[in-house]
Amino acid sequence: MIDLHGYGWQMLLGLSVTVQAALCSIVLAVLLGLLAAAAKLSRWRALRAIAEAYTVSIRGVPEYVLLLLVFFGTSRVLQTIARQFGYDEYIEIPPFFAGVFAIGVVYGAFTTEVFRGAILAVPKGQIEAAKAVGMPSFLLWRRILMPQVIRYAVPGLGNVWLVLLKATALMSVVNLDELTRKAAISAGYTKEPFTFYMVAAALYLCLTIGSNLGLEALERRSSRGVRRA
Amino acid sequence: MKKLTALILGAAALALAASPASAELKKKYKVATEGAYAPFNWVDPDGSLKGFDVDIANELCARIEVECEIVAQDWDGIIPGLLERKYDMIVASMSITEERKKKVDFTQKYQDTPARLIAKKGSGIDPENNETMKGKTIGVQVATIHEKFARKKWGDVAEIKVYDTVDNHNLDLANGRLDMVMADSTALDFGFLKTDLGKDFEFVGPGYDDPEIHGEGAGIALRKGEDELREALNNAIQEIRKDGTYQKIQSKYFDYDVYGSET
Repeated sequence: MIDLHGYGWQMLLGLSVTVQAALCSIVLAVLLGLLAAAAKLSRWRALRAIAEAYTVSIRGVPEYVLLLLVFFGTSRVLQTIARQFGYDEYIEIPPFFAGVFAIGVVYGAFTTEVFRGAILAVPKGQIEAAKAVGMPSFLLWRRILMPQVIRYAVPGLGNVWLVLLKATALMSVVNLDELTRKAAISAGYTKEPFTFYMVAAALYLCLTIGSNLGLEALERRSSRGVRRA
Repeated sequence: MKKLTALILGAAALALAASPASAELKKKYKVATEGAYAPFNWVDPDGSLKGFDVDIANELCARIEVECEIVAQDWDGIIPGLLERKYDMIVASMSITEERKKKVDFTQKYQDTPARLIAKKGSGIDPENNETMKGKTIGVQVATIHEKFARKKWGDVAEIKVYDTVDNHNLDLANGRLDMVMADSTALDFGFLKTDLGKDFEFVGPGYDDPEIHGEGAGIALRKGEDELREALNNAIQEIRKDGTYQKIQSKYFDYDVYGSET
C-alpha cells in the first residue's frame, strides 16, 4: 500500500472540492451556453452580436489568464471603488467563486457552440409543422425542440465536461484547496512529489472514467425511441 | 452577501460622520504564514498550520490578549496581501530588511539564524573560492534575502535559479538539477538535511550574515502606522524571551537557540 504520511484525508478533501467546483462550473456553463445559443439564433441582430462577441473573445483567451484576471484583478478594482465610498476594509473574491466563474464562463462559450449545432440539427420541417398546427412557441420548445436538442447535444456536452473537469486544476493558482493544490502541499511537506502527483492523477482518472460511464447512460437515455442504424 | 452589507453599512457610516481612527488594539487579528517552510511553518495532515512561527504567533496573541486566526498565504503574494488588508500580520520568518521596510513595518526580531549553502556530500565546492563555484547552479526562493545575497556574491560566476518555495528548490537539488541551494540554515537543517531526502547533502562554506542584505533577523511584518500593535508585540516578544516561554517553544523544534545574539 502507498504511504501517504497521513495526507490521504487531505487528498480526499481536495477531491471533493474539485468535484464541487466542476459541478458548479458545468451548471454555469450549460446555462450560459443555452442563453448564448438562443441569442445566436435569435431574430435580433444586437443579441446575435453580443453572443458572437462572447464566444469569440472568450474562446480566444486562455482560461488561466481569465482566472487570474477575475481573482486578482477584480478584487483590486472592487476595493478601489469601495474606498471611494469610504469603505476601507479588505474585499476578497472567494477563490471558489472566482474559479467557478472563470471556468464556467470559458466553457460556457464552448457549450454555446454545442447547443447551436444541436438546435440547427433539428429538421426545419418539424418546426414548420408544429407551427402549422398552431402549437404555441413554449410547447414547441418543450415537445419538439428540447428532446431532440438534448439528444444531439449530449455527446458534445460530455466532451466539454471531461475537459472542464481537468481544467479545475487551474483553480489551484488562486489558493483554492482543490485536488492539485492539496497534492502540491502534501508533496512539499513529505518531499514525495511522485507519490502525491500520481495519487492526484489516479483520482482524476477515476473521476473521468466514472463520468464516461455516466455519460454513456445519459446518451442511451436521451436516444431512447431512436432506431439504431 | 455579508461583505456587500458591510459595504453598504460602511458607506452609510461615512455619510453620517467620518469616524476617527481608533488607537486601540482590535479584538481579532488575522495572521498570515507561508505553510511551506518547515520547521518554521507547514501544513499538517489534518490541514492545520503548524511550526515554530505558528506557535510563536499564538503565544504572542495570547500575551497581548487578542484573538488570532492563522491563515496560509503563498510567499510571492504575502506582502501584497498584507497591504490589501487580507490579514494584519505576517509571522513567516520574514527577515527585516531595508527594502521591505519601505512597504511595511516590522516588530523587533523574534528569530535570527544565518544563511548557508548546501551541496552534495564530497562535492569539493568551496563557496569562498570562485574557481569551484564557476558554472554551478544555485537554487534560491524568489524575493528572499537569499536570492539577493546569492546574486550579489556569486551572480557573476554561477547561475542563480529562483523557485517559488524552499521545498521545490530542495526537491530539485535532490533530483540533481541544482548543485547547491541557499536558504536559512535552520530551515535547511531541519527541513531537509535531517530528512531522508537530504541525507546525501551537507552544509558548505560559512554562515553568511551581511547586515546590508540579511538585515537584523526575522520579525513580524505589519502595515505601516500600526504602532500600538507593534509596541504590544515588541513587549510580548521580550516577555516570552525573559520568562522562558520562548525557550520552551523552540525546544520542540530545535536543539539550539534560534534567537541569535541578544540586543
